[in-house]
Amino acid sequence: MNDFTIIRRSLSARKLSTVLTSLSVAVAVALMLVLLMMRESGRAAFERGSGNMHMLVSLDSDPLTGILNSVYLAAPPRRAIEHAKFQDLASKPFWAYFIPTQIGDSYRGLPVFATTEEFFTKFQPGEDEKWRLKAGRFFDKNFEIVLGARAAEATGLKIGDKISLTHGMPQPRSAESQSKGDAPAPHVHDEYKFEVVGILEPTGGAHDRAVLTSITSSWILHAHDRREKEEHASGRTEEHAHDEHDHDHDHAHDHEAMTTEADLTDADKKVTGVYARVVSRPGSNASAMIPVVFGQMRADSSITVAQPSQEINKLFAIVGSVDQILIAMAAVVAASSGISILLALYNSMEQRRRQVAVLRVLGASAGRIFRLVLCESLALGAIGAAAGVAGALIGGRIVANEMKSRLGLVLEPSISWELGLGVVGGALLLAAIAGLLPAAVAYRTSVAKNLRPLG
Amino acid sequence: MTNTNSGSHPALEVETLGFKYGGADGFAISVPALRLGAEEQILLTGGSGTGKSTLLQIIAGLFNPDRGSVRVSGRDMHSMHGAARDRFRGAHIGMIFQTFNLLQGFTAKENVLAALMFSGVARSEHQERASDLLKKLGIARMDAPVESLSVGQQQRVAVARAVACKPALVLADEPTASLDPENSASAIELIQTACREAGAALLCTSHDPAMRGRFGRVESLENLRSGAASGAESRIGAGVGS
Repeated sequence: MNDFTIIRRSLSARKLSTVLTSLSVAVAVALMLVLLMMRESGRAAFERGSGNMHMLVSLDSDPLTGILNSVYLAAPPRRAIEHAKFQDLASKPFWAYFIPTQIGDSYRGLPVFATTEEFFTKFQPGEDEKWRLKAGRFFDKNFEIVLGARAAEATGLKIGDKISLTHGMPQPRSAESQSKGDAPAPHVHDEYKFEVVGILEPTGGAHDRAVLTSITSSWILHAHDRREKEEHASGRTEEHAHDEHDHDHDHAHDHEAMTTEADLTDADKKVTGVYARVVSRPGSNASAMIPVVFGQMRADSSITVAQPSQEINKLFAIVGSVDQILIAMAAVVAASSGISILLALYNSMEQRRRQVAVLRVLGASAGRIFRLVLCESLALGAIGAAAGVAGALIGGRIVANEMKSRLGLVLEPSISWELGLGVVGGALLLAAIAGLLPAAVAYRTSVAKNLRPLG
Repeated sequence: MTNTNSGSHPALEVETLGFKYGGADGFAISVPALRLGAEEQILLTGGSGTGKSTLLQIIAGLFNPDRGSVRVSGRDMHSMHGAARDRFRGAHIGMIFQTFNLLQGFTAKENVLAALMFSGVARSEHQERASDLLKKLGIARMDAPVESLSVGQQQRVAVARAVACKPALVLADEPTASLDPENSASAIELIQTACREAGAALLCTSHDPAMRGRFGRVESLENLRSGAASGAESRIGAGVGS
């Protein structure tokens, strides 16, 4: 028998009140943790995604859109950089790397990220962190595919599997268009089979859910489409002419002639985004060079240049105000849970005056009674906080899955020690404050009055 | 069996005690002298509302007198303050109430353990002492919540709790008031025996005339007030009490 037994008995004597009060604390703690956790992991995911690049070059309407499209693979950019322009920019002497990328196709809803082999050798998913293969190798020929870790997980594809890519990326459809069934069927590039040659280890960035292939393969696919359209158009003209002359022979244009790299024109070689890193020469500081290069690039009004770190800060500044409102709401929920602890204990004090009086008669000091009630309040806070942490971990996982499936944003929700201790400590502090009034009531409980009947 | 009575001090010494209910002019309770030897058992009589329970609460240190002193085992109860007085009460005084005042939601054993918890008795002895005592008093279901026990068993638990720390003094406030005559007799017998075995003196209040024959010494509050109290003069029955 100890103080803990007394607290346990007291809480179990009021099971419903204990459960509801703890639940209100749990909701507040879970809400607070999920919000903070998502903010931290969201920022981490964004910061990781841009790897070791210094800037992104694209033709998007603004730098933030460029970063979201080409780095976080949110949507295909509407405009692409022409080959000549790309070559002109790539020839500048200040690049450590200038890696072309193209997005626009997909495989089972996952974005196809077309790039060059330099992406694996020069671009790093994190500073001083190289790409690592879970299986196979990086692509070194056309029509080979390397799967991001989550893409491999989602598709179940293995090394050696062959797939066809789909033109375009799936867009969220309105309920109206879905019900009418008027959305066009996606075009599958089934003329070309791509072979899975490698699977990447997870990096925590957006590329984890990408299907990576060579940019030349992507150019060939779209050049093939172009040629088909051209042949189709010329075929129709021919057919029209044949009808007029009543010729009767087969005009089947089966497009058996597959497009190859040799068929590519400059117009086919479209680049939707370029990952660029400023060179670091011995004795010079790359970070000092970045603003200079950035300034020079921005002077070219035909392109959009973005520094990922700046754009991420801009994005979080926009989202931050919503974030603060949500955290303020969580704080209100936390405060109301504190009030429910106070009310639960305060109301119970009315029924417990005799118990307090008996404990005093048995030798418990008023100070001890004060501590017992305070500890009971802390116990309610601790039970609620523990349930809240468990709820937050489960809730965080659910939110992360939703973010992944709806927005394609890969979050790794986890509770750091600092965050966990901060929120749990806050809940306990709140419980302690809420317990002060009931504890004071218990402290002041008249022993004699409550040991009825008096003579 | 050793109890908490220190040395050769009487279990209780009350001198020139006066107590006024808030704002009243005269003393509602006045006891010029009352002495209770070690292991002595005394019945304090008086009608309802005469202040018997209040006197017990003053002796237990729950009220401060307006005048005089109360010494239990030689220690002046009211010279001690706050937690020190509470600790002393837990270690040296047991209390039994008419309505038992058991801790609801706690088991029979936990009620006894609660008394030991605040008594200063070594923690290692608690479990064994509580179990032995309850067994001796005939409580078989010692792990059952007290509210599930019969009234008679609840009273036994209350008695066990009062004597668990082997106090110098047990104060019993109308312990049989809610019982029928037959059960009253067995209840008071139980309390007296338990006190004797624990080596505790017993000060029991009652307005039931049937109780008088069970105590060797009977005092009324009126006699105490007039200073007529004397163990020899008020000794009535023989054999039942000590």
